[in-house]
Amino acid sequence: MQNRPLPSRLFCRNDAAMAQPALIKTFAAMLLSATCWLAAGSAFAQDAQPLKVLRTSFRVAETGFDCQRLSDVYSNDVCAQIFDTPLEYDYLARPSKLVPSLLREVPVPEQGGLVYTFRFKPGIYFAADEAFKGVKREIVAADLEYSIKRLVDPAMSSPNSWQVDDRIVGLDELAAKAKKDGKFDYQAKVAGLQLLDRYTLKITLKKPDFNFLYVFAMPTLTPLAHEVIEYYKDDITAHPVGSGPFKLVQWVRRSKIVLERNPEYREEKLDTTYANPNDEWDREVVKSIAGKKLPLLDRIEIYPIEAEQPRFLAFINGEHDLLPETPPSYAAQVMPNGKLSPTLAAQHVRAFVELQPELTYDSFNLDDPVVGGYDAQHVALRRAMAMGFNRGQEISIIRRNSAMAAQSPIAPGIVGYDPTFTAVDQDYAPARAKALLDTYGYVDRDGDGYREQPDGSPLSIEYKISSGGLSYLMLSQLWEKSMRAIGIRLNIVTVQFGDLIRDQKVGKFQLTGAAWIADYPDAQNFLQLFYGPNTGSSNNARFRLSAFDKLYEQAIAMPDSAERNALYREMNRYILAYVPWKLGVHRSYIHLMRPWVKGFKKHPMYHSRFKYLDIDAVAQQAGHQ
Amino acid sequence: MNLSTFVMRRLLHMIPTLLGVMLLIFVLFNWVGGDPAYILAGKISDPKQIENIRTQLGVNQPYWVQFWIFIKQVCTFDFGRSWATNELVSDVLLTRVVPTLTIMVPVLLLETILAVLFAVLVAYVRGTLTDRMVMLGCTVAMSISFLVYIIVCQWLFGFKLGWFPVQGWSDSFITNLVRYAPLPILLAVMVDLAPSLRLYRSFVLDEMNHDYVRTARAKGLSENTVMLKHVLRNAAIPILTNVGIALPGLFVGSFLLEVFFSIPGLGREVVESVNRSDFPVMKAITVYLAVLTMLTNLLVDVLYRWVDPRVAFK
Repeated sequence: MQNRPLPSRLFCRNDAAMAQPALIKTFAAMLLSATCWLAAGSAFAQDAQPLKVLRTSFRVAETGFDCQRLSDVYSNDVCAQIFDTPLEYDYLARPSKLVPSLLREVPVPEQGGLVYTFRFKPGIYFAADEAFKGVKREIVAADLEYSIKRLVDPAMSSPNSWQVDDRIVGLDELAAKAKKDGKFDYQAKVAGLQLLDRYTLKITLKKPDFNFLYVFAMPTLTPLAHEVIEYYKDDITAHPVGSGPFKLVQWVRRSKIVLERNPEYREEKLDTTYANPNDEWDREVVKSIAGKKLPLLDRIEIYPIEAEQPRFLAFINGEHDLLPETPPSYAAQVMPNGKLSPTLAAQHVRAFVELQPELTYDSFNLDDPVVGGYDAQHVALRRAMAMGFNRGQEISIIRRNSAMAAQSPIAPGIVGYDPTFTAVDQDYAPARAKALLDTYGYVDRDGDGYREQPDGSPLSIEYKISSGGLSYLMLSQLWEKSMRAIGIRLNIVTVQFGDLIRDQKVGKFQLTGAAWIADYPDAQNFLQLFYGPNTGSSNNARFRLSAFDKLYEQAIAMPDSAERNALYREMNRYILAYVPWKLGVHRSYIHLMRPWVKGFKKHPMYHSRFKYLDIDAVAQQAGHQ
Repeated sequence: MNLSTFVMRRLLHMIPTLLGVMLLIFVLFNWVGGDPAYILAGKISDPKQIENIRTQLGVNQPYWVQFWIFIKQVCTFDFGRSWATNELVSDVLLTRVVPTLTIMVPVLLLETILAVLFAVLVAYVRGTLTDRMVMLGCTVAMSISFLVYIIVCQWLFGFKLGWFPVQGWSDSFITNLVRYAPLPILLAVMVDLAPSLRLYRSFVLDEMNHDYVRTARAKGLSENTVMLKHVLRNAAIPILTNVGIALPGLFVGSFLLEVFFSIPGLGREVVESVNRSDFPVMKAITVYLAVLTMLTNLLVDVLYRWVDPRVAFK
């Protein structure tokens, strides 16, 4: 529209007849201009809506973003925002359920769990990057083949190679050849990795495995563009390029990670199929984000803060919107008596309490001549020690009541976990422990207050821990005190973390503490810690029982079913009977968030799922003011 | 001996010292350093993988080969990449040293200026109530753990009073210096001031008891001239020695400050590299600190001459 200058004659008194309609026209023109200006202003205001920025923290610093080379939770968490995986876990389904992400559908096990066919959705692209030289790069099945091969490349020394080791036909042979030749041949054909067309990859396994698909929901087995890997070479860890909802835009190592929305992210909305209408968190998620295109956040700022106080204060101070894994030392302050503190409740802070899919345990070395063995005498010693340890004090003092006593070596929320299964023989019962020791000849012969072995030789057991871990130090002291109470001499031995892992792997210990976090939501991931052939890799207790191994092999070749759960139960019973572990606890964490954080529901298999989160930016601004 | 000959000789002396330091680091790492292969292998690993990692890292080569590689690394200033993060070690040092210096240089400057100033003042009023109160304050301040200072002051000044941010660090040097560094600097100065003040006071008192001070006063010089020109100048040598000893510490920073205020400095890196048995980073930091220590010692020796012309180079 035009806005011409008004002629001066319009204001001439003597020309009233002319002036009146001209004035009206002018007024109308001004009104229209003002309306246009206001409309433009309002459109501008819409464009200038505040960005949706989420600020949060990690309790441990990241190490890098080459997700195949690194295995720490926090680096993997950032990778999970940048890379799409072939499969993922549904956001709302509990127990966890695999759903397709890059794939058209979840592959159906063929030939009794021996063959899986991965069909990729066409038209999904990697985020633009200079490695692609300006060309849009589509994700194809060959990218997953490349990724699988890279995982076993000896030059990578990947800590995640166990995900495909000894599973895919011909892959181990290719890795062995590469080790011999000093170079991995990425062009070599692998019998178990068959590209059927541009979007289809058929994977053939050496033996049936119904849990194989779980590894394709981990960022380690995301399709990778070989161009990116070759372009950035050794600096790939700082240049993650995926097709995920976010892109890495800034990384100040160990200090700040900034992710921004990937503008090329595929069309995706929340699937509400598995939403539980009786769950208040599900209801809030559906209400806040259902029907909206994901991701909803514009920017995520993550601050790794290792000390507990500043991490907690940064949230309380309003610097951060989300506090994942509230430091346990503040748990009683945040939720006294299990209820959100009145101060936080007044600020409309929300708290999500999560029992994590993990457990702590203390492992005996079954190869050790004193605490090991499968005969009644040695089993009795281990059982007495398990009963003599005061786990109640561990939960109340060391864990500050943020933990639940484990009843089996399987964590809650995992397929195969049986909530009715109880481990009475692992409960604190010092009188029973003493009676059991007396029965099997572990008595105090020399009157020094400590028992000797049945053959009269001294009974002294080493508890090995790593230096620097306060909770393990406290735990070892509680062990020493508990064992002293039943007459067993326990010596605490402290070694470097690396040496502790080595000693655990090679069986150079008698008793040691550890924790296991689920890699995937199936009991097999926990029970493999007792599988005989895994001795020296993951079976640190060096538990080798043929009856258990047979059940394990039988279970792994079965799909999820009541029959398989019955096998898991039977395996649990063997573990309780032979006591390779003193079962510890399942730890719980409180996740705190400001009221303007929407769409939150903690998934047990992910540290965070930022693509489902939203921010009410207006409320956020008001809250900060 | 003139200055250039002195400096050249001292630089040559550094070579065997540095070799000794390298040998010590090497022996300590191999003796008590922990096995990095088991950390890098992840939670599920087998002996073959461990062996493969050891080959990749070169830790299963003969010791003399490993030590020779170490010497070459020191000579070329190329320590390779971090075993834990695959980051170039040179990048680790260059990116972490700036935040560390942003905190530590102001700390050293402020602490030295304030400690010298207060030391001269309390030495001058030696034996009075003021002197006793200051000394008592110093003793109390020294008896409290640095961690307590950090926890209390972070809560009080950062959270309760809101004078400073609780934690944080940015890309901008100015923002860091003005916004994020003041509280850590204040805390470090508070903690370091007390022992320095006590020490410098004793240096000043020693000088005040000398005859030349009495002579200066007898000559009718003003107290300011006596204290600042004569006493302070002579007390400067031990003060300089003390500051010189502290100089290499500037470059390693403070682990506690860096952890509690999320400062991406070298202090955190040192501790992390030890925890992870990240030998390339440990080697680089230790060698670089050893060199810095030797160079600052040399600098201090040269400065002695500047402060006191009676000092001769030998």
